[in-house]
Amino acid sequence: MGRYIARRLLYAVPVLLATTFLIHAMVFVLPGDPIQGLAGDRPVPPAVLAELHHRYHLDDPLVVQYAKYLGGLLTGDLGRTFTGEPVADALTGRWQVTLRLGLTAWFLETVLGIALGVWAALRKGRWADNAVLAGTTLVIAVPVYIVGYLAQLLLGVRLGWFPISGTEDGWPTAYLLPGLVLASFGVAYVARLTRASLLENLRADYVRTAGAKGLPRWRVIVRHTLRNSLIPVVTFLGVELGSLMAGAVVTEYVFNLPGIGQQVFQAIQLREGPTVVGITTALVLVYCLANLLVDVLYGLLDPRIRHDR
Amino acid sequence: MTGSPPAPPPAPAPPAPAPTRDLLLPPKRRPGRGESPSASAWRDLRTRPLVLACTGVLLLMALMAAFPKPFIAVLTHDSGRCELSDSRVGPSLDHPFGFDLQGCDYLGQVVRGSRPSLVIGIVVTAGALLLSVVLGLLAGFYGGWVDGLVSRVTDVFFGLPFVLGATVVLVAFPDHGLGAMTLVLVALGWTTMTRVMRAQVIGLKDADYVQAARSTGARPLRLMTRHLLPNAVTPVVVVAMLNVGNVISGEATLDFLGVGLQYPALSWGLQLNAAQAYFLDFPHLLAFPALFLSATVLSFILLGDAVRDAYDPKLK
Amino acid sequence: MLTARALRLPAAALALAVLASAAGCVRRGDEDLGPVPDVPGGEYTVALTEPDHLTPGRTTSSYSLQVIQGLFDTPVALDPADGHAVPLAAESLTTDDQRVWTLRFRPGAVFHNGEPVTAASYAAAWNAAAYGPNGWEANGYFSQIDGYAALNPADGAEPATDRLSGLEVVDDTTLKVTLGAPFSQFPMLLAFPAFAPLPKAAFDDPAGYDLHPVGNGPFAMDGDWRHHQRIDLRRAGGYTGLRPPTADAVHFRIFTSKDTAFTELRAGHVDFMASVPPARAYEAKRTFGRRYSVRPSGTMDYLGLPLWDPRYAKPELRQAISMAIDRKGITRAIFNEVFAPADSLVAAMIPGHRAGACGETCTYRPERAKELFDKAGGFTGTLELYFANSDPTYEQWMTAVANELKQNLGIRDVAFRKMSGADLGPILNGRKATGPYRQNWVVDYPSVQNYLAGLLGPNNRSGWSDPAFDEALALGNAAPTAAESEEHYHQAESIALKALPLIPLWNWQDQTAWSSRIGNVLVDPYVAGLHLEKVTVRH
Repeated sequence: MGRYIARRLLYAVPVLLATTFLIHAMVFVLPGDPIQGLAGDRPVPPAVLAELHHRYHLDDPLVVQYAKYLGGLLTGDLGRTFTGEPVADALTGRWQVTLRLGLTAWFLETVLGIALGVWAALRKGRWADNAVLAGTTLVIAVPVYIVGYLAQLLLGVRLGWFPISGTEDGWPTAYLLPGLVLASFGVAYVARLTRASLLENLRADYVRTAGAKGLPRWRVIVRHTLRNSLIPVVTFLGVELGSLMAGAVVTEYVFNLPGIGQQVFQAIQLREGPTVVGITTALVLVYCLANLLVDVLYGLLDPRIRHDR
Repeated sequence: MTGSPPAPPPAPAPPAPAPTRDLLLPPKRRPGRGESPSASAWRDLRTRPLVLACTGVLLLMALMAAFPKPFIAVLTHDSGRCELSDSRVGPSLDHPFGFDLQGCDYLGQVVRGSRPSLVIGIVVTAGALLLSVVLGLLAGFYGGWVDGLVSRVTDVFFGLPFVLGATVVLVAFPDHGLGAMTLVLVALGWTTMTRVMRAQVIGLKDADYVQAARSTGARPLRLMTRHLLPNAVTPVVVVAMLNVGNVISGEATLDFLGVGLQYPALSWGLQLNAAQAYFLDFPHLLAFPALFLSATVLSFILLGDAVRDAYDPKLK
Repeated sequence: MLTARALRLPAAALALAVLASAAGCVRRGDEDLGPVPDVPGGEYTVALTEPDHLTPGRTTSSYSLQVIQGLFDTPVALDPADGHAVPLAAESLTTDDQRVWTLRFRPGAVFHNGEPVTAASYAAAWNAAAYGPNGWEANGYFSQIDGYAALNPADGAEPATDRLSGLEVVDDTTLKVTLGAPFSQFPMLLAFPAFAPLPKAAFDDPAGYDLHPVGNGPFAMDGDWRHHQRIDLRRAGGYTGLRPPTADAVHFRIFTSKDTAFTELRAGHVDFMASVPPARAYEAKRTFGRRYSVRPSGTMDYLGLPLWDPRYAKPELRQAISMAIDRKGITRAIFNEVFAPADSLVAAMIPGHRAGACGETCTYRPERAKELFDKAGGFTGTLELYFANSDPTYEQWMTAVANELKQNLGIRDVAFRKMSGADLGPILNGRKATGPYRQNWVVDYPSVQNYLAGLLGPNNRSGWSDPAFDEALALGNAAPTAAESEEHYHQAESIALKALPLIPLWNWQDQTAWSSRIGNVLVDPYVAGLHLEKVTVRH
């Protein structure tokens, strides 16, 4: 297992290099001019334009830009945002927000999703099953920003249970409502996956055998069925951990959380190359780790899977 | 409930949704004489009222998408002109859904919006499903460098921020049309399903029946298509069915961020976006496209469940 | 089963939540407690959007300007009632020929760090902003001063000097400014925050200073600017100027979404919001009643036309487009009656605005529009509309315009070219657009000249030029009295409206709303925004 993990970590290096180059190229091929974009409807004096292009290496060809970026990276310099803030500083501050939000949402998604899924599977075809189905479908059908604004108005303004926006109340208070909204989408998936997988396994021979042996039903479900049913769920949740971090653009926007998702979106709109590359690279790193974690977990959940063969 | 011994089910059990007391043992169903399994599954499907209802809804939506004009002509009095003086007027007998922000007949707009929404939802999901089934099957079955390559590419695509990918593709296609949107959503939407598929295949490839088939000399292609695919695909299909709705509202999110479909295109996503600022004062703007979207998504999910139940050999 | 019962509760709560919210029963804003007593002290919170910089010369963003207005005193201020220039940090401002101006500053003023404010502090700040290689955003505001060209070589070469030759520090309180050409509107320009003085600290550590600007105004920074979160100001200790603050502290909370900021205002967590989204107008009116106001603004929206494209070359076609647009209908439907239909190139609050200057051209006459359109020979190909994706309302009003062009003129193909500002800027500035584009103008100082020179001066986006227009502007700049200047500017405006390279659409109005905790809310339509020092707080 140790060797397997080491090998997987080694794989991350080419992935990161590929990502940084790919993102650089993508930002580079975009035709826009960040400096003129920032100025809006006012013309920028040519001297200022030339200076700012030079300052942010916008006048270099792609390969030179990339080389300069890698050179900076080696010395720990991730470049600067257009407001002059070092990208590294902006990243560290924002990661904390996104990490807290992502983990809160991930936790809520896991707990609610699996619980609802099990409940629906055990009550297959009855009103509980249908209610879970209808509720989760509705959440999928309504875009997340509408769910967000509704939640703010109802739970924040009307009932006053949660702070409406911002991070000032700290973790977990400030992150509960946005976490719930962010998770609402994934809950549907986790619940459906759990339900489907559990139903399938409940019919398996070994479960029948266990039932026939007279084992208590909850024991059959928890020990035998659930564990085997969780492989697709765990896969999905592993993937989710990463996408919750990056997919929080809208949630962070609606709840005014200064996190990675918002920053990467703004940076893309502004064509702020160094910021986009910095954040994306960090995100890919998180995915690699999350996926590694999932692959290791498979081995624990399912003895049939062995990595070191 | 405890593990009470199961009551024997009545012989030709009425299929779900009629609940059976016990969940551990499925009702036994005997295929009709000389009937192939898929034919019996098909016969099963046709007799379920829920399936019929879902098929009906989807058929209706598809008809609406294909031929919007007759629907609009029958259901409302849409002059084809949008008058700003009608902006946001609520439902009435002549205009059952009222008017939208631009003063266009809302029923007409919602019906016209069904085509792009359905096309995006179905084409994107089908494309992503195909891509992920193939890649997941290959990665899971062969392992080694194939798996490494597929997994690393998946990682990179995961890392690509949705908005960046969308922005790049949409700059290449400045009309932000249906084709460009489909491409964006497929390019960025196949990764999750690929991971799920790969995991399923890894879990199954050492199963007894696969080993047995392998020992009888079955070729890899046959192993994958005949033995692994049918057994591994269930969770992927579940995700895909949910994905239809996800994609349709994902298009709305792209638009919320300013990189989505644009005029003269119409879609339920665009309509939900326009309604968002007004949902307190003019709820009908939000309600109608949301209703159509929910009905479509729900039908896909239920139909997906039913098809799976009917075809899955393990559930028989 | 325990799990089932445990789950039923949240499920029921969720269902209830959906129902309750669907019914739209949301609490009204905090109740009215009567007028706020006019006593000093207390703290209040203002909703803000993230500024780009807080160093005066480095920004033209209105969000930055709102903060800088509390931190700095500019040489002159604009009267909130009619926008004429009144001395603030300066005691007097004199000229004989509209070209050489003498500024005398109040003695004894100090920066928040104790450094005295002298004429040299002003000269240093202006030189830094005008020096091209510094890349400061407000660079263009100094182009009237003699010597600007030497600091901004057109070929991007290193300038030979870093000082404006038109600035002369006579003594500690006197600054003599020589302009390149006579410019009667110069006093108003001096109210723009970029003309505020800078202490030495600003040049020692520019990055640090941008996070913690030290100014000469009624409020000082309380801690650093926390990017995307907050900016805190407190009463400045040694302030001797004309704007002593009433409140002890002002907190700016930074929001990305104005809708979220509005929700926080409703919940009473924010005391003031300067730009309530137009879509929330009815809600704001209902919720805040007398603590909601709509005030005229100097910001205008136009539809710019690409005159280099032969399809738009005929003035009749441009007039047809203008008359096919129902300005009143759009401001009612899309902007909830908040914005005002434009009848001139200039906002209604600007001194010198002529109501109806645009005449019939800016009114909705679909039949006449169609006549003109046919007379001009119609339109071939796809009409593309260019605008930025930064705000969803752009798309809404562009849709209305597109529908009207289709319905009233019979143009068959209308399509959007919606893109990020970074893409749009080069396309418009490089004259690569092939269709009408959204043009917006935020006024710098309340003068007709600011709109005309900014929008239609040399090398403007629409590609329009007319020597008669340029001459009328120059005559206005050199005229000895305001009335004479105005006359020339009006002449120039009429020339532009006849040619119609820009179609005036509507004049923005600022919706402000505030909590019952604060009083004496004075919002000015010029650069100052909310007068931070005047606000009283119930405490």
